[in-house]
Amino acid sequence: MTVNPSTQTSKISVRPSKRFPTIERLKEGWTIYKENLIGKIGLTLLVIFALMAVCSFFPPLIDPMYHPMTGVDPQISHSTGPSWRHWLGTDFIGRDILCQLLAGARIAFMVGISAAFMSIFLGTIIGMIAGYAGKIADTLLMRLADMIMVMPTLLVVLILSSLFGQLNIWTIVLLIALFRWPGVSRVIRAQTLSLKERPFIEAAKVTGASHFRIIFRHIMPNVLPLSLLYMTFRVTSAIIIEAALAFLGFGDPSTVSWGMMLQWVWKTGHMFQAPYWLLPPGICISLLTLSFYMLGRAMEEVLDPRLRKEVAQE
Amino acid sequence: MEVRKFILKRFIEIFIIFFVILTILFLLFRLAPGDPVTRMVDPTLTPEDAQHLIAQLGLDQPMGLQYLYYIKNFFTGNFGNSFHYGVTVFSIIWSRLPNTIILFTTSILLSAFVGIFLGKIASWQKGTKTDTWMTLGALACHTLFLPWLAMLMIWIFGFKIGWFPLNGMISPEIWMDPSSGLWLKILDVIHHMVLPLATLFSIHFGSYLLLMRSSMLDTLKEDYILTARAKGLEEKTIRNKHAAPNAALPVVTSVGISLAFSLSGGALTETVFSWPGIGRELVFAVSNSDYPLAQGSFLLIAIVVLTANLVVDVLYAYLDPRIKY
Repeated sequence: MTVNPSTQTSKISVRPSKRFPTIERLKEGWTIYKENLIGKIGLTLLVIFALMAVCSFFPPLIDPMYHPMTGVDPQISHSTGPSWRHWLGTDFIGRDILCQLLAGARIAFMVGISAAFMSIFLGTIIGMIAGYAGKIADTLLMRLADMIMVMPTLLVVLILSSLFGQLNIWTIVLLIALFRWPGVSRVIRAQTLSLKERPFIEAAKVTGASHFRIIFRHIMPNVLPLSLLYMTFRVTSAIIIEAALAFLGFGDPSTVSWGMMLQWVWKTGHMFQAPYWLLPPGICISLLTLSFYMLGRAMEEVLDPRLRKEVAQE
Repeated sequence: MEVRKFILKRFIEIFIIFFVILTILFLLFRLAPGDPVTRMVDPTLTPEDAQHLIAQLGLDQPMGLQYLYYIKNFFTGNFGNSFHYGVTVFSIIWSRLPNTIILFTTSILLSAFVGIFLGKIASWQKGTKTDTWMTLGALACHTLFLPWLAMLMIWIFGFKIGWFPLNGMISPEIWMDPSSGLWLKILDVIHHMVLPLATLFSIHFGSYLLLMRSSMLDTLKEDYILTARAKGLEEKTIRNKHAAPNAALPVVTSVGISLAFSLSGGALTETVFSWPGIGRELVFAVSNSDYPLAQGSFLLIAIVVLTANLVVDVLYAYLDPRIKY
């Protein structure tokens, strides 16, 4: 980033009207991000997992026995180790572990990103409203946030699934989102409180902009980067909660997830005999959450100049 | 005086939160699909016993009265009978509570202390190899999938090497033997506790380390650190006496915030290690549709979280006299 500042400034001045400020900003962010070791590792891992998720569509097309859920190898009736036919071996009824692993990547991305997106959406809107409106609305919303924050999400979802029966994957996603917004909304609220006092909001008010317009047109663009940052951390926690739920036997029975694979190893008593089955799902969950976490930490550095300067001075 | 007022305020707040949780749980158990009576009354009971229990829980009354019965029953410790165990829920969760508290408190304290200590070192060596490896290691440990780590621990240290027992909290042969003394029994529990503790510790210390590190780096930029340097104090004194105590404050707060997360982790650990705590009881109750037990253990966990939150708040109030409430 300190390579040659002169070219950068000249670049901006060449373009008279900066037609795409967001893209410019993204480019700038990317140059900072590239310097970050943790960010690079995280992004590489993420790309690998994304490839896994894409690859998950192919094995069932080759042979129905490679279907992660219903595909059973007719010649195998118990768990077997890695072979040419099944690269990572098979589970207790002869399903291919590699195919389950690939399908699990797809589910993990789906659960992680959709739950995180929803909780960020809720958290950002609630945070902005609480910060902007103040008074009673603020107190009520933040008390609600406090209350949800002290609840162990996993155990709450467990209780709910005991009352309402087996939950399907989208209900689980929705529940995770509903219980994971308070952390985000606190941060967004704090940011909104400081934004509210800035001159440009005053100016908007004077020109007669409605509250709705001020919140969505003037405040939101300024808090969105922060929301995006928190989204990476929420992806991590959503993936972990879903996996833990599936591990305890409360996942969606119609989809394969890594947590469910671990449950099968555990419940069928293969924990000590089948490391080829025990290791891959756990490594995948841990690495995928790690990569999102790393992404988040690197983004934090991009967004927070305070953190960045330290590194630059070193 | 200020502090006492603040604690009282927090206490009332936490009490209100608990009341809301109690109410929501009541509504959920009444409004969920299915009959609340079959949910709370063991189907294997004789009709007379069932009738007695229904009257005791107020299930034959209108909703409003049921709620009052529910509150009264809660404060008199009457959660109904567990379907599976056939005894009162209260007696089960009461006997599980100490086991959970032992594991939970030890793991939190241990990981917080080690995390703070290592974070201090990492921040002091900022930019060096030690710092990079510590940060990476903390990140990697923190994101390990807990039940998987627990299984690995059992597989490696319990099964392969055989240093520690595979699961449980006590070995019956030692506890049944009248000749074994108290120390032997305590050692036996510690022996069983090593693996679950190591699992929880590995997951938690990383976040404290990272937090302490960044908090230290912020603190080191403060003017009073410059003053301390200008006075010619030793670096070690500056680090341990001037910077660390202040930098540790946000870590204490984060212990409070992450309590709920730790308890979820605790439940998973207890389940995999068959540690007889409330978390495992809750998972067991939910798996077996033992609703009274599920309700009771959930409420107790809520009480544990809220109490621990209060303890952290009080601790914070004493640690940081600058805070005005």
